[in-house]
Amino acid sequence: MTTAPRPAVAEATGAGRSTAPRPPGTGLLGRATRRTGRRRGYEALSGWLFVLPAVALFLVMGLYTVGYGFLLSFARWNGFAPHWDWVGVQNYKDLLWANPAYAPRVRHAATHTLYVMIAVPLLTVLVSFPLAVLLNSARRMQTLLRSVYFVPYVTSGIAVFFAWQYILQPDGAVNAALKTLGMGSLAQPQGWLGNPHTALPTMIVVTVWGAVPVAMLMYLTGLQTIDRSVLEAAELDGAGWWRANASVVWPLVRPITAIVVLLNLRDSLQGFQTFLVMTNGGPGDHTNVLGLEAYRLAFLKDLAPTLGLASALGWLLFAAALVLALINLRVLRSRT
Amino acid sequence: MATVVALTPLAACGGSSGSGGGDTLTMWTFKQSHLAALRNAAVQFKKQTGITVKIDAYGPDDAYTTKVQAAAKTHDLPDVLEVHSDGEDLVLGGTGIAKDIAGDVGSDWSGLYQKGVQTSGTVTDEKYKESLPGDSKTHGVQKGQRFSVPFTAGTFGIVMGNKQKLAAAGITKPPANWAEFIADLKATKAKDPTGGGVALGLKVKATGLTWVLQPLAFADLGKDKYQALFGKDSSADFSSPDGLKVLGLYDQMQPYWMPGAQTQEIDGADQAFAQGKAAWDIGGTFTLAFLQQNGMKPDDVMAFGLPAPADGAVPQRALGPLALTGLTIASTSKHPDNAEKWMKFLAGQQVAAQFAKDATDVPATELGGDTASVMGATLADMLKTFNGTPDTTYDPSLNDFRPPTYDQDSMGDVLADLTPLGQKSVEQTGKAMAKLDNSFWATSK
Repeated sequence: MTTAPRPAVAEATGAGRSTAPRPPGTGLLGRATRRTGRRRGYEALSGWLFVLPAVALFLVMGLYTVGYGFLLSFARWNGFAPHWDWVGVQNYKDLLWANPAYAPRVRHAATHTLYVMIAVPLLTVLVSFPLAVLLNSARRMQTLLRSVYFVPYVTSGIAVFFAWQYILQPDGAVNAALKTLGMGSLAQPQGWLGNPHTALPTMIVVTVWGAVPVAMLMYLTGLQTIDRSVLEAAELDGAGWWRANASVVWPLVRPITAIVVLLNLRDSLQGFQTFLVMTNGGPGDHTNVLGLEAYRLAFLKDLAPTLGLASALGWLLFAAALVLALINLRVLRSRT
Repeated sequence: MATVVALTPLAACGGSSGSGGGDTLTMWTFKQSHLAALRNAAVQFKKQTGITVKIDAYGPDDAYTTKVQAAAKTHDLPDVLEVHSDGEDLVLGGTGIAKDIAGDVGSDWSGLYQKGVQTSGTVTDEKYKESLPGDSKTHGVQKGQRFSVPFTAGTFGIVMGNKQKLAAAGITKPPANWAEFIADLKATKAKDPTGGGVALGLKVKATGLTWVLQPLAFADLGKDKYQALFGKDSSADFSSPDGLKVLGLYDQMQPYWMPGAQTQEIDGADQAFAQGKAAWDIGGTFTLAFLQQNGMKPDDVMAFGLPAPADGAVPQRALGPLALTGLTIASTSKHPDNAEKWMKFLAGQQVAAQFAKDATDVPATELGGDTASVMGATLADMLKTFNGTPDTTYDPSLNDFRPPTYDQDSMGDVLADLTPLGQKSVEQTGKAMAKLDNSFWATSK
C-alpha cells in the first residue's frame, strides 16, 4: 500500500495531449479501469468460491432442515410413511390447549422447565462468580485449580450422567456419605432421583454442576481484564475485599453475567439429554421437561404419527428462546 | 442331531438344498438374548440351503425402533426384521415398509405355531377397526393383510422369586392367591429389609399398569367389568367402586417395592434381582433368559403367574399367551422368497426347540410333547399360567375396548403417583385415571 502518486494515472490524466473525448475503456485510463474491474471480478469470484462451501452447507444442513422441520410442524407423520397428512395449525392448538391428552402434559413439563430456567442460571452465577474470584486471587496452582474446576465440563456426557445415577441411588455414594457423617436422616431411602420431591432439585444440581465450569472460565477471563488501577483506587478509598468485589468487580462483569444467564436459560429451555438419561422424566412425570416431551413425541411413542407435534413443540421452544434472547439483548444494551 | 434339526423344517418348506445358493440375507433383532440362538440356527440353514443369514442385534427397544425408522427412510432395511408382534409389524405394513405375506403363509406354515398365536401379524376385523382413525399408529392397513409371522410367544405378569431368599423367609411354594402373595412379600421384606422387596422396571412407565394392575383387575372384576374400567361410563371406570377396589389391591404392594424401583429400567430391575438386591422380580416369560445372561440359574428361580384374589370374579385366572415378537420381511428385500424360507425354517419344531434351549425363551412354535424336557422346569412352570378357558384367560393383546388414542405411558405416570411414589390416594388416583381416559375418548376421532 502506498500513498505516492501513481505515474501511470498522472500521465494518463495529463492535459494538452488531446482534448478530444475518448471512448470509455480506451487508452491508459481505460486499460487501468478495465484491469481494476477484472481484478475486482476475480476477487469477487474467489470470495464467492471461498464462502460457497459454507453457503452450500448452510443451505443443505441449515435452511433445508429448518424449512423441513417447520413444514413438518403442520403435518401428521410417523417418520417413514410415504405421505404427510396436513393438519394446519392443529398441532400447535393441540399442544397449547385443544387436546387434553397433550396439553396438560405440556403445561406440566413447562412448569418443570420454568423451575429449571430460574434455578439453573441463578445457581450457576451464584457458584461460578465467587469461584472465579477465589481462583483469580489464588497465588499458587491457579492453572491446576482452573483445570480441576473445568473437569466437569470436559467429562460431561452420557457416561458421567450414568455415574451420577449410581451416586444418587438408594445405596449410592451420596446416601452413604450422609450416613457416615451422621446425617442419615437426610438420606433418601428411594434414592435422590426416586423421591418426587428431590428428583427435580437433584437434576437442577447436576445441571448446574455441568454448567459451572464454562461460566467460571468466562468470569475468570472477565476478571483478568479488569484494570488493576480500578481495584487499587477502590482499596485506597477504603473498600475491603467484600465491598470491592460487590461494588466494583460485580458491576464490571455484568455483561458476562448476562451472557452466562442467557446461555443457561437457553440450555435449560431446550436441553433434555441429562433428563432423558437419568430420569426419563420420572419418577412418574415429576421431572418431565419440554425438550424431553418433544423428544418423547418424536421417538418414544411407539411409531405413533406424532413427529409433527414434536416439531411444533420444537418451534414453540424456539419462539420462547427468541423472546428470551431479545429481552437479554435489550437488558444488555440498557446496562452497557 | 444337527442334521436332523436342519432337515426337518426344510422338508416342511418343500425346498431343496441350494435353492437360494450363494444368496445372503440380512436380519436385525432387538433381542440380544436371541442373537446367539439365531446365529446357531443360521449355521444350520446355511448348511441346508447355501443361504447365508447375517444377523445383527440393536438395542434397547427404543434405539432399535429409531434405527428401523431411519433405515426405512434411507431404504437401507435388512431383509428380515424381528419386531414386536401386532404392533410394529402393522405400523410398518400400514406404511408399505413391511411386505404383505398373507398369500404366502398357508395353513401348513401357520399350523406350526401354537394355537393362540397362529394369526399373529394379521389385520383382523378388530385390528382394521383400530387402524381407521387418521391418527392411529396402524392407519393404512387393509383387512386380511399379514405383515409378520410369530417368532416368540409368552406373556407378561410372571413373578419370579429367588428360591434361596424365599426359603430363608420360610416360603417353599408359590402363593395360591393375592393375599398369600402379599403375605409372602411381607415375610421376605421382614427377613431382609433391603434385599427382600419386589423388583420391577418402573422407570418404563407402563410396566406397573400392564404387568400388574391389569391382570389383577381382570382377576378381581372379570372380563366385562375390567374392560369397563377403560370405558366412558363413569359408574364403571377407574373412579367407580370397582376401580377403587382394584387400585386398593395394587396399593397393597406399596411397602414391598425394592428401594428405588421407580428409577430402574426393566433390564436394571432384572439385574438387581439377579444380584440379590430383591427377593422378587415381576416380568414376563422372556425375563428368564435375561436372568440367565446375568448369571442366575433358572433352577434357582421360582416362577408363577401373578396370583389372583381368592374372592375375585376369576380366582383361577390364566395369563393368555400372545406372540411377543414376530418376523417381518421388508418390502425392499431383494430376496423375499429366501427370507420366507428362513422364517419358515425357524418355525420348524426341532429348530424352535433348539432355539428355546439356546435363548431360554418360549418360541411361538408348538413344540408338543414334554415342554419341560425341552425348555427346562422353570420355563415350563411359567407356561402353566397359559392354561385357562377363554372366559378365565386375561388376554393382554385385546385393545378394542380402549380409546384409539389411548396412551398407556401417560396412564402409567398417574398410577405411579399411587405406588410406589405415594403422592396420591386411591381415590385421587382413580379420579385422575378416569379423567385421563376420558380425555383419550374425547380426542378419538
